[in-house]
Amino acid sequence: MSNSFAQSIRALFRLKPAQKLNREYRISLLTAVLLAFLVGAMIMLICGFDPLKCYGALFEGALGKPRALGNTLAKTITLCLCGLAMSVASKAGVFNVGGEGQLYVGALAAAVVGAQCKGLSPWMVVVLALLAALVAGGAFALIPGAMKVYWKVDEVITTIMLNSVAISFCSYMANGPLKTAEKGIASGTDSIMKEAGFTKLIPLSNLTTGLFFAAAVALLVWYLMTRSSIGFEMRLTGDNDRFAKYGGISAQKLMLWSMILSGAICGLVGMLEVFGLHKRFLTTVSNEFYFDGMLVAMIMRYNPFGVIVMSFFFAILNIGGRSMELSAGISSEVILIIQSVIIFFMAAEGGIRATLQSRAAVRKARREAAERGNAA
Amino acid sequence: MEEMIRFSHVSKQYPGVLANDDVTLSINRGEVFSLVGENGAGKSTLMNLLYGMQPLTLGEITIGDQKIDAQHNPEKAMEMGVSMVHQHFKLVPSFTVAQNILLGHEPKKGLRYDFAAAERMVTELSETYGLHVNPKDVVGELSVGLQQRVEILKALRTGAKVLILDEPTAVLTPQETEELFTVIRGIVREKNMTVILITHRLPEVMRISDRVGVMKRGRLVKVLNAAEASEKEIASLMVGRDVIFDELRTKQPLGPEVLQIENLRAINDRMLPALQDVSLKVHAGEIVGVCGVEGNGQTELAECVMGMRPQTGGTVRLNGKDVSRMSPGEIRARGVSFIPEDRMRTGVDGKASVSDNLLLGKQREPRFSRFGIHMRQKRVKEYAKQQVEKYDIRTSGVDEPVSSLSGGNIQKVVIAREFDFGTPVLVISQPTRGVDIGAIEFIHERIMEKRNEGCAILLISADLDELFRLSDRLVTLYEGKITGEFETETITMEEIGFYMTGAKSQREGEETL
Repeated sequence: MSNSFAQSIRALFRLKPAQKLNREYRISLLTAVLLAFLVGAMIMLICGFDPLKCYGALFEGALGKPRALGNTLAKTITLCLCGLAMSVASKAGVFNVGGEGQLYVGALAAAVVGAQCKGLSPWMVVVLALLAALVAGGAFALIPGAMKVYWKVDEVITTIMLNSVAISFCSYMANGPLKTAEKGIASGTDSIMKEAGFTKLIPLSNLTTGLFFAAAVALLVWYLMTRSSIGFEMRLTGDNDRFAKYGGISAQKLMLWSMILSGAICGLVGMLEVFGLHKRFLTTVSNEFYFDGMLVAMIMRYNPFGVIVMSFFFAILNIGGRSMELSAGISSEVILIIQSVIIFFMAAEGGIRATLQSRAAVRKARREAAERGNAA
Repeated sequence: MEEMIRFSHVSKQYPGVLANDDVTLSINRGEVFSLVGENGAGKSTLMNLLYGMQPLTLGEITIGDQKIDAQHNPEKAMEMGVSMVHQHFKLVPSFTVAQNILLGHEPKKGLRYDFAAAERMVTELSETYGLHVNPKDVVGELSVGLQQRVEILKALRTGAKVLILDEPTAVLTPQETEELFTVIRGIVREKNMTVILITHRLPEVMRISDRVGVMKRGRLVKVLNAAEASEKEIASLMVGRDVIFDELRTKQPLGPEVLQIENLRAINDRMLPALQDVSLKVHAGEIVGVCGVEGNGQTELAECVMGMRPQTGGTVRLNGKDVSRMSPGEIRARGVSFIPEDRMRTGVDGKASVSDNLLLGKQREPRFSRFGIHMRQKRVKEYAKQQVEKYDIRTSGVDEPVSSLSGGNIQKVVIAREFDFGTPVLVISQPTRGVDIGAIEFIHERIMEKRNEGCAILLISADLDELFRLSDRLVTLYEGKITGEFETETITMEEIGFYMTGAKSQREGEETL
């Protein structure tokens, strides 16, 4: 696999990182969202559906009932933590595409600890499982991180490759050595200690007390990235690592630690899925959650607060889309189209805006010259 | 006099900046015209419009009697007889001189490259213009002066009538500059060509040009006849006030030895030896200037001292303590600040704000962060504003990205940051490269202040005027070796040129060439 392959993946995915989420960008984003909804509406019309009814069903299905809201919030947590994991590494200039794998190892580690530590109090089990997930995810991210920092091996390649390694390893464990003896579980581990599993905050929904862990982590990441001197150092390292090193920052260490932190957060996502939803490790623990989170992070230019907001929006589309399919009858694929259109516009945003700006500048200069001519 | 080029009411608007503002200028056939001005004055922009690198916003440019159109581009410019040699050469190092000059217009024999024809064509070209090169030489092995000559030949290949040279002498030794000027005079006199120079160096302007155009903030302030103008007059037109290059240096007793470099060895990025047994000492209150043509180990010397490049031998000591294996952070903590030569790659983070760039290195100090973690945003802002004021950094705000500033102001950001550490040792590389005259004066004064406060300063520069003006002692670096060491008063620029080019050496048994 060549370096140019990695470069093209970067180019495809990167969507102008390290820039500010300024007012102009927010306006572009809003425009893109509106346009995407418009495109969606046109497709609905062509297919013979009423767009207003469909969109009504979408928001109703995502926010209308407590249960729906709970599911949307649960989805938000997953997307948001994945997005933040991506952002932490990207800010420091490391492109972690391997979150999916880190999520799997974290989930497996948490499930094993949750199932094996029988005699302990539930609280202890949760804490131990949390630690196991963080360590597993972090350690798994350490491999590509160290290879990047010390041997200059491109992390895009290694993280993508390690995804397959992690997912295959975890399914082997869940189908082989760690396969549960319970009946009716196709490929999963023993269930975790019952009392240790998170309790539901909204009945019948996926929203559990895991929310508090997620909120704490999100807050911590937001603080670290935007308010601390470490975040400042990370940002400069990500922009220009030579400059950071010159300024006395140990850029290598910083990149490595941000990769570890990124992996640890992914591990936590795995643990939340296991303790909140499945109560055991299943090979279906994640459905490319990390890649959705990555997109959210990239659209929001790795701005932690922006990632939280955008995750909520994407969660609405995701959860609402399913119920829209049931109640309005239109395929939820249309939601995928809307998401893609948003991403498409945001990828083209820089070019479109630069063109518009330079045209405006020329017009302004002409006008001013004309005024000067009149005055003279 | 026949008019060759006419700019009438030319304006160029970049987003947020009016780079050229209603410029009207005519340049004649058969003259050497110099365009001078501070950084961001719009000289290069004006020439880029002429050469078709950028479309103009308003106005008209005519070349000969042809107007340039909206689709003007470098290719068309060359067809119309205008060629440009950029400051950074665009040559393929592994190709021969002939291959480079005929790049894109290779003579073919069937499908094959006709080397014999190519060499013949280049030989003819070089004879026509009196620019002697060997078409078979590989460009990467040539000196900078010869590479420039190849660039000029490349520009002349299409039979140019107007040649634009952007900062041509920035990388040349005094001898090479002299040769370049001979060539310029030759083509102007014999071929009746027009040469336009974009430059900062006033002494050279006075020597070579017929007329001088002074630009300031996008406007053409005045056009003077070089024979009737004085350097000081031009300088004051450029900055809008009188600039007096005073003698800054005053005698002062030397302090103790602070920085000691012994038998330092290092390799460059191409894994070739860059430094060979370099030994140097810098005392407190002394500026030691390192002279040398670029690429003779200066870059590596500064990087080794700062811990940014591994050494392959020798030691660097600070106050007697060996710092050879330390990281830049550790070396900074022991009292060294560094102004690097490549400010965009090393000196600043272009995307980050002015305030972030001023803060680097101080972010964990208690005054800027509680417990070294919680940033005190307000204090950072205040500090940045103070520094902007103190160092006269022209920016529309401390939150603007540094890359939006002009070269001179970016350099001031670097200097403000590094000087504010208040360290006893300073390593300064190319402090005024691409910086305008007003800022040069300011930067020189700050450097001198530091010296008078008792700092030990290692100054590396490609600008001999600067080195002679500031340094107490000079050393010459040639091919990674120190070829001479002088008290500044005891040597002339011409003489030091011989040591910089390896023609002379103080080292025993190396009186070569």
